[in-house]
Amino acid sequence: MDTSVKANEEREKKWAKIAKVGEGTYAVVYKAKEITTGRQVAIKKIKIGQFKDGLDMSAIREVTYLRELHHPNVIELLDVFSHKTNLNLVLEFLDADLELLIKDRSNVFLPADIKSWMAMTLRGLEFCHRNWILHRDLKPNNLLIASDGQLKLADFGLARDFSDPGARMTCQIITRWYRPAELLFGCRYYSSAVDIWSVGCIFAELMLRTPYLPGESDMDQVKTIFRAIGTPTEEEWPGHTKLPDYFAAGQFPRQPFRDLFTAASADALNLLAKFFIYDPRKRISAKEALNHPYFFALPYPTHPSKLPKSANQLAPRPLPLEELDGNTNGALSAKAAEPNKLKRKSAEAPDGPDRRVVSRRLDFTAV
Amino acid sequence: MVHEKSLYEASSQYRHWRFSPAQLKTTREKLNAGAIQVISAAFETENPGSSSTVQFVTQQEELSLVKLYASKLPQLCFSSFKLPEHVCATAVTYLKRFYLRNSVMDWHPKNVMLTSLFMAAKTNNTPISIDYFLSIIPKTVQSDILELEFPIAQSLDFEFAIWHPHRALWGIYLDVQVLEDVPMDLDRIYSEAVKLIRDSWLTDAEFIYTPSQIALAALHAVSPPLALQWMRSKGGSEQLQAILLQIQKIIKEEGTVPDVEEVRDIDRRLRTCRNPAKVAGSAIYQQKKAEEERIADEKRKLKAAAAKKAFEEADPFGADLRRESSNGSTPPGK
Repeated sequence: MDTSVKANEEREKKWAKIAKVGEGTYAVVYKAKEITTGRQVAIKKIKIGQFKDGLDMSAIREVTYLRELHHPNVIELLDVFSHKTNLNLVLEFLDADLELLIKDRSNVFLPADIKSWMAMTLRGLEFCHRNWILHRDLKPNNLLIASDGQLKLADFGLARDFSDPGARMTCQIITRWYRPAELLFGCRYYSSAVDIWSVGCIFAELMLRTPYLPGESDMDQVKTIFRAIGTPTEEEWPGHTKLPDYFAAGQFPRQPFRDLFTAASADALNLLAKFFIYDPRKRISAKEALNHPYFFALPYPTHPSKLPKSANQLAPRPLPLEELDGNTNGALSAKAAEPNKLKRKSAEAPDGPDRRVVSRRLDFTAV
Repeated sequence: MVHEKSLYEASSQYRHWRFSPAQLKTTREKLNAGAIQVISAAFETENPGSSSTVQFVTQQEELSLVKLYASKLPQLCFSSFKLPEHVCATAVTYLKRFYLRNSVMDWHPKNVMLTSLFMAAKTNNTPISIDYFLSIIPKTVQSDILELEFPIAQSLDFEFAIWHPHRALWGIYLDVQVLEDVPMDLDRIYSEAVKLIRDSWLTDAEFIYTPSQIALAALHAVSPPLALQWMRSKGGSEQLQAILLQIQKIIKEEGTVPDVEEVRDIDRRLRTCRNPAKVAGSAIYQQKKAEEERIADEKRKLKAAAAKKAFEEADPFGADLRRESSNGSTPPGK
């Protein structure tokens, strides 16, 4: 009988792997196609046999949330099947990410292009937040670009739902340069505002073409933020000095955004400042941001199909390869310096005595 | 603007896990009959003529057995592991959904129940390490749990997100506090409604009705005036009231733990009619494993041969990396 085993086999038969494009300790990514339509897809094979505690948390999170989220600006999980001790995720095939585009110096970004990417990022994020899901790892590297120019939020390996007010959560989330001050101060009760800060960092990076707040350590990250945006006052952000990991990082005056973002419009600067409001309760929401005058002012956002594309799309990272965290491929050498070694904790467990730390890394040295 | 679907309507629960009572019955009857057919055949292979004497468990008995194991989850969750309500509720749902795809004759509910809990803890962001889990659960080994993760995940179609009535009830509880004449004993009403929702875990209510309907039915059972007042404030319909009564009827009739003696008898009988292909050590099980191993071995040999051939034919160091990455083609080495 075993209907579910049969159903699983049938699902597996729908897809044909074409070529291996990346291999790491925990996952292998294949370029594949749907047999009936020829549609290109990516299959991420997670080797579960290696995890002591069975199905690992990143895989569980990714499957749990992507199974529910269907939106043009969120990567689509087309199918899931298991094969022996492997879990296979069939994902939309996306051939570039925003980081690649930002780093490609041959591209010129018009203000309208940046507006288009921002709109798509916020639409995807607003949809996640509306569904009570926090992404918790937004950065250009996780914003993938489809061949038609659509931007899609990817890598939900750190995502979680936040429908339970007062639930204690881990603060070890979001790649450092995109992490808000409240998390750096050890805040355990937070909300969608953490993702918004990351969006602010991405917005700034799109304008500057280089990371806006590249701290060298968690301590230095706080300093970097304060140096750029000014040390928060008690009035601006009531109670922040009482946060568990608070430390006095020094007094820095606020640098007017206009001094650094010289080409930005007044609307853009106004929105940027709202992403970087220290008090998470006052920070703008994704929905409010989408209604901000910036998006209604000229120039209108570029149509996705007309957006700049990266010349070396397929070269270093041909797939929506979330595991690329910390990869050391020569073609992305600039990236190696990025603090991408975010640990994927199966934390937040009140019970388990030995919490497992899984950092999923793909090693491209074999390629 | 186009009518936007409610969040619930977009959920996998709404799209794939709603059934009519008749559908549920047919599904279970088919599963039961299918399992009996397969197991009879297996018995015949192992020992011709042996299947005629076997007393198989019926669809009703399967359900009682699952229900008994479902009823063990709250104590395990709340007392042993100190896990929150939604983890327990999720584990119950996983267990029940599993048996909409499988028969107890193929998979005994004890380990399915335990693995459902182990997985529900993970999918609700409160993972428990396997060592700690096993230190609490007696007479269970690692493979009892981990080997069931995939069969369960498959049976759930990898749809792990569950919507629960107790969350809806919490929403209503907050909502009613702004109504006029909030009852003095609101907290008592709330906690009794929570208990009724837990009773509903033992029923099919969650497959037939929405979480909010079940929540409201529970509240209505404890305090009809409060539920009606809240419904009026939201513009609830007559139709909804009829639904609430149906849910209350299901909870009352099916929401009790089955008689342990009766279930023990079923369980005893189950030992004689389990699928031998799933019982480690039986001849048919060994045969199946050997066949699987043989196929896997053949595949490995083929793969090795192909790799050897590719290696002999191509430059062992692969094509030029720089050229490959600059012209935008896929990396070499396949």
